Amino acid sequence: MAPPMSFSMVRWWVAVELVEEILKAGAEQADELEVYLATGTTVSARLRKKEISYASGSKHHALSLRVVRDGKIGFSSTGNPDSWKDCLRAALKSAALAARQEWRGLPGPAGDAGGSINYDENVVPDPECVSRLLKGMMEGASQHPVDIISGSAQVSRCRAFLANTSGLFCEERESMVSAGLETIRDQSTGYEYETSWRMDIDPVSIGEKSAFLAATSHGGRDIPTGIYDVVLSPDALDQLLGSALLPALSGRNVHTGRSRLADLLGQEVCDTALSLIDNPFHPGGSGSCLHDGEGTPTRVLALIRKGVLSSFAYDLKTACRYGKETTGNAVRSGLGGGVTIGFHCITLEGPRRDLLEEDTLWVHDIVGAHTANPLTGDFSVELANAYFYRDGTPEYPVRKAMMSGNVFEMLRDTGGLSFEEKVVGCCVLPSIRLKNQRIIGK
Amino acid sequence: MHGIRYFDIRHVKAEISQIDLENGRVESAGTTFLDRAVIRVLGPRGWGILTVDHYEWPRGRKFGELLAKAASLASLTGEKVVLAETDTGILPVPKVKVDPRGIDLEEKAMHLREIEKAALIPGISSTRAGYVERYEQVRFEDSCGNEHAYSVVRSGYSVLAIAQRAGEMQMGYERRHDLQDFPLCHRQEDGERAARRAIALLDAERPRGGIMNAVLDPELAGVFAHEAVGHAAEADLVQEGGSVLAGRIGDRIGSDVVTIVDDPTLPGFGFEPVDAEGSRVAKTTVVERGVLSSFLHSRETLPVVGSGHAGNARAMPGQVPQVRMTNTYIEEGDSTPEELIAECRKGVLLCGSRGGQVDPGRGVFQFNAEYGYLIEHGECGAMVRDVSLSGEILATLHNISLCARSRKMHAGYCGKGGQTVPVSDGAPHVLLHGAVVGGSGTG
Repeated sequence: MAPPMSFSMVRWWVAVELVEEILKAGAEQADELEVYLATGTTVSARLRKKEISYASGSKHHALSLRVVRDGKIGFSSTGNPDSWKDCLRAALKSAALAARQEWRGLPGPAGDAGGSINYDENVVPDPECVSRLLKGMMEGASQHPVDIISGSAQVSRCRAFLANTSGLFCEERESMVSAGLETIRDQSTGYEYETSWRMDIDPVSIGEKSAFLAATSHGGRDIPTGIYDVVLSPDALDQLLGSALLPALSGRNVHTGRSRLADLLGQEVCDTALSLIDNPFHPGGSGSCLHDGEGTPTRVLALIRKGVLSSFAYDLKTACRYGKETTGNAVRSGLGGGVTIGFHCITLEGPRRDLLEEDTLWVHDIVGAHTANPLTGDFSVELANAYFYRDGTPEYPVRKAMMSGNVFEMLRDTGGLSFEEKVVGCCVLPSIRLKNQRIIGK
Repeated sequence: MHGIRYFDIRHVKAEISQIDLENGRVESAGTTFLDRAVIRVLGPRGWGILTVDHYEWPRGRKFGELLAKAASLASLTGEKVVLAETDTGILPVPKVKVDPRGIDLEEKAMHLREIEKAALIPGISSTRAGYVERYEQVRFEDSCGNEHAYSVVRSGYSVLAIAQRAGEMQMGYERRHDLQDFPLCHRQEDGERAARRAIALLDAERPRGGIMNAVLDPELAGVFAHEAVGHAAEADLVQEGGSVLAGRIGDRIGSDVVTIVDDPTLPGFGFEPVDAEGSRVAKTTVVERGVLSSFLHSRETLPVVGSGHAGNARAMPGQVPQVRMTNTYIEEGDSTPEELIAECRKGVLLCGSRGGQVDPGRGVFQFNAEYGYLIEHGECGAMVRDVSLSGEILATLHNISLCARSRKMHAGYCGKGGQTVPVSDGAPHVLLHGAVVGGSGTG
């Protein structure tokens, strides 16, 4: 007798057969079933000071099932696809408890929407690769008088099948490279990182930037409390947008009374020079994709167009529930995670210029953005690696200061975007100049 | 095997159940399964680490292959890792009071619905409640022959109420997490409390930020201990040169009313019967009457950094152990909260927590209160919202002048290096002079 099929020995045809077997079993017990089966391989290493302290490798499997029965949607996932029957039972139980809702069915075959746009076959999760990245960062850091605290590099690949009982069957592949370095000079720290789905990140530049931040922040001065024009780096901007603005654009939050923007569709919500776009086809975005997490073909979504709120983001479940159309914004939260509303690649469009021409407080990073009020957007954060520029020339690094404001209000009066952009989380963002921000210093 | 100085395996099987209610409806509910092992091999210099799904005991032929793979990864390392010899042993896990696993998901949803319903009072426009239960079976084994196994269940809920009036929105929330207990019965008052706070916050002022005196309530003072001192005392950060507390053992870093302790043996949300490296857990006094006395350690950090004992290595399932806090608190003083407010004279009382963050290398921390009250002439006045506090570790502890008598612990989760672990923080009310308070008010 042939040994039982084990997913841990996976080949693609074994995976396909397993998906088909689960779909067949699910179709007998539920109105609809969605199967997401993924395998991810990761190699990473960590630097402590100037030596690699550990190197690690992992191979993870994930099976996520979503069932629909009588308009009730249930979900379960497992790290062991061989135990898919337990997982299916749990998903059916979950559906039994869920509230019934309007439902128009899972999407059918994706046509040419299958495939991947954030996969590079040159990204190979091997130890030598992460070692090279770490060495490159160390070389970059040596250009400034700093000590390395720690660093990390990670290379991963993921292959997944998304299929459902409506006939959808697509395969997707993703690759990811990331590297980051933390440095210190006395009590001045610097941190820089890059992520990309291609093998195109420059570790020497990451190391140099981290060391530059630590070295140039040394000997900081107090800044007087007052109102300043502030330039936020892509990292700082990403954290503040993610704390309140992006959640407010989720259709689910809009229709359940948790979005400050709920009644403002068609109204001016920020500087008319700015547009906020979710562009799933952005060539640099780490979450760029041709179809979303439940198989709906993706499209460019203008959330804010020239300052006017123009759309919210929907997945199928929320769209059906509230009589809307899905915008293809279902995302999966990690390997084995459930489907939720999210963004593929948020970009900010607006006038590009040199942002440091006038008196400016330039802020590379902030501490505590996650403590912002997610509903109202009010925040008070500590600044990190902040520099005061006088007439476009760096005058002094700021030792310690807080910035207090409101995420929604800060975008109403802006002074342009930088030419350079950076991949940060699900965004590709420039720096932004914000006018009249309250800084609490000495 | 050649070149392998040590190995260990930490295998966690977990069942995670969750219920999410929105405005009275079950938005989602269900169970997910996790089964993951971390195999660490100490080669001639550093660690090679493999993470594998659905690991099978006992060790068989395949285990040799896994060890060889991990050893091959270890050959990449350059740092010579030395492990401290430590006590091994495991504490009994506290007895289960009410086992949540014995309660049907439907009944749990019913209890949660009652709490959410209690939040729906006039003035509230939206409610949400969530329940998460996590049952973990942990098994540890190392090449020295040590073996430990235990299981533990943690569960918790949160309820959120949103008040709306004339285009203004504010939220109030309550949460509770329990170890080895079921937290959902008869908790309707939490829903109502969240709702009343949301409504009250509609009329609260945004304070003008600046330097002022502040009284912190036990929840926020607990976060203060965690962010301002706890992280910087984690010896992996000290070892890397990324903590301002490096080299300061025996130094006075705070006033003599400040004693800060981490204790994994307490049956709080951060309880660990044994740490993630098999070391016996024990209480650590990090700051004793203002003097830095110990760091928190793993087996790896202890020989390099010194001062303390191993037993604070913790890990999420399938993740590499890191030095982490467990149950962290500021010890009680001998004042009353009223005396602290009177002594404060003019300033702000800060209550509840929306979390915090620290840059331990720079020695700067920030955290945010859920709400507060202005203090004028030694008495509490108008309610304020969206207030945060920041400071420098080495300066701020000197500015704590009084601690109240009664300490409360609050359960939550702490993130570090991409991992989130359950912790509890606690303190009595504390009075802090010259705090940097952030607020966007202009009045």
